[in-house]
Amino acid sequence: MADMRAKMSELYSLEQLSSQKSSIHALHPLSKIIATLTYIICVVSLDGYSFSQLAPFVFYPVIVIALADIPYSMIWRRALVALPFCAFAGLSNVIFVRETAFYIGSLPVSFGAISFFTIIFRTLLCVSAVLILVAVTPFAQLTAQLRRMHVPQMLISVFEMTYRYIGTLVNEAYSMSTAYKLRAGDKKGVQMKDMGSFAGQLLLRSFDRAERVYAAMKCRGYAMRDALLKPLPLKKNDYIFTAAVCLSCVLFRAVDVQQMLTDVLGRMM
Amino acid sequence: MLEIKNLFVEYPDKTSVVNDFSLTVKDGESVALVGANGAGKTSLIMALVGILPSKGEVIADEITLSKNTENDIRQKIGVVFQNPDDQLFMPTIYDDIAFGPRNMGLDEETVKRRVNDSLSRLNIAHLAEKTPLKMSGGEKRMAAIATVLAMRSPIMLMDEPTAYLDPRARRSLIRTVNSFPHTRLIATHDLLFAAETCDRTVLIKNGAVLADGKSENLLYDEKLMEDCGVEAIGVYDRGVKL
Repeated sequence: MADMRAKMSELYSLEQLSSQKSSIHALHPLSKIIATLTYIICVVSLDGYSFSQLAPFVFYPVIVIALADIPYSMIWRRALVALPFCAFAGLSNVIFVRETAFYIGSLPVSFGAISFFTIIFRTLLCVSAVLILVAVTPFAQLTAQLRRMHVPQMLISVFEMTYRYIGTLVNEAYSMSTAYKLRAGDKKGVQMKDMGSFAGQLLLRSFDRAERVYAAMKCRGYAMRDALLKPLPLKKNDYIFTAAVCLSCVLFRAVDVQQMLTDVLGRMM
Repeated sequence: MLEIKNLFVEYPDKTSVVNDFSLTVKDGESVALVGANGAGKTSLIMALVGILPSKGEVIADEITLSKNTENDIRQKIGVVFQNPDDQLFMPTIYDDIAFGPRNMGLDEETVKRRVNDSLSRLNIAHLAEKTPLKMSGGEKRMAAIATVLAMRSPIMLMDEPTAYLDPRARRSLIRTVNSFPHTRLIATHDLLFAAETCDRTVLIKNGAVLADGKSENLLYDEKLMEDCGVEAIGVYDRGVKL
């Protein structure tokens, strides 16, 4: 549980990066949201066997992270959290799709394996793009922009509250598990027979706590923010960034750049 | 000035927690709201900023509390919560203090100035980039007060400000609170704290005013305090300078 608290602090440390000053941080949140969405749509819309076509999409996270002066490890480490989930999702392809696609030396590589690696690669790219967006855009600006884009208010409120609520939930769980451990003798963790009441109590306590946190937010003008936050004007750099990212993504999506380069090199040889 | 006229607060199950409560706190005045647990102190504070629905009248600096003026009144009245953990929900203390000013639509330069001003006023500039998860109770309390200072509200409500504090942090809080120019209403059952920070005390029992007068008179009145459900400052504590 203490580890969970450390993870929470790590999660929020990503948001702390958003207050840095760099050319990427200075961009309008709208241009960053559009660029991220276009990137994700282009990556996700590739078919399940287009592993090689994903390669040029690595440029976006690499370049943006460098320009924003964010430690690469901070993004990659967090992106890896998604790895077990996508690996589990892609595993069935390895088992069921065994038709050989090509050989590496004498080693056959099945379509299932290609699909497996494509799913992993694609997920890591998309998760990285979202993490980068969070790391280069202050949370308040991000949600304010989503409001201006007419994303349903309910959805944004849930997003905001969930983000803040995770911390309170972890804190409550930490206090409860400490109290439990101190009276649990040599038992490790919460016993199955106590799990029901533990989870129920945790839920009730964290609801109660969330209510108080929400009251504190309202006391400091949370409700009036919509009316008062003035939209920032879009600048030349915002248009250039959005156009560059979107056009590159569409190009990489429409054309297999790697195949094209191989063909060109083949002809030259 | 804070005026409360005939205020009633009820929970949804119709339990009455504040009953016909009336009080006027003049500009710059510091008033202690003293009562036992469950006397209605926190409910009263929450009702004054429209968090809990109420009947009656609340006027803060000429703004009358209503559904339409909730946001305006919350700019006039700052609330320091009993548990600082409820008040600190952002990744860093800087962001937490900036939360209110940002919601007021201030530009980032002004927000920064306000945050730094609040931090230096409470001597906690070194906490700016810290996460609340790794701070002591005293540090969190000071940070929670800083979040309210940055709002620049003329009226400050404090709910049990000495809860979770060790004696040294408590002593530092007394000095800090006494340095504020705000109109203050401090809910507490820490009578020594009340004696050191407030000239006037209002005793609350079952959500109604039981007594209102000078702290030096009320807080030592054993009979009255017993009636209120709290222990009077004992003979042992009488050395405390009022």
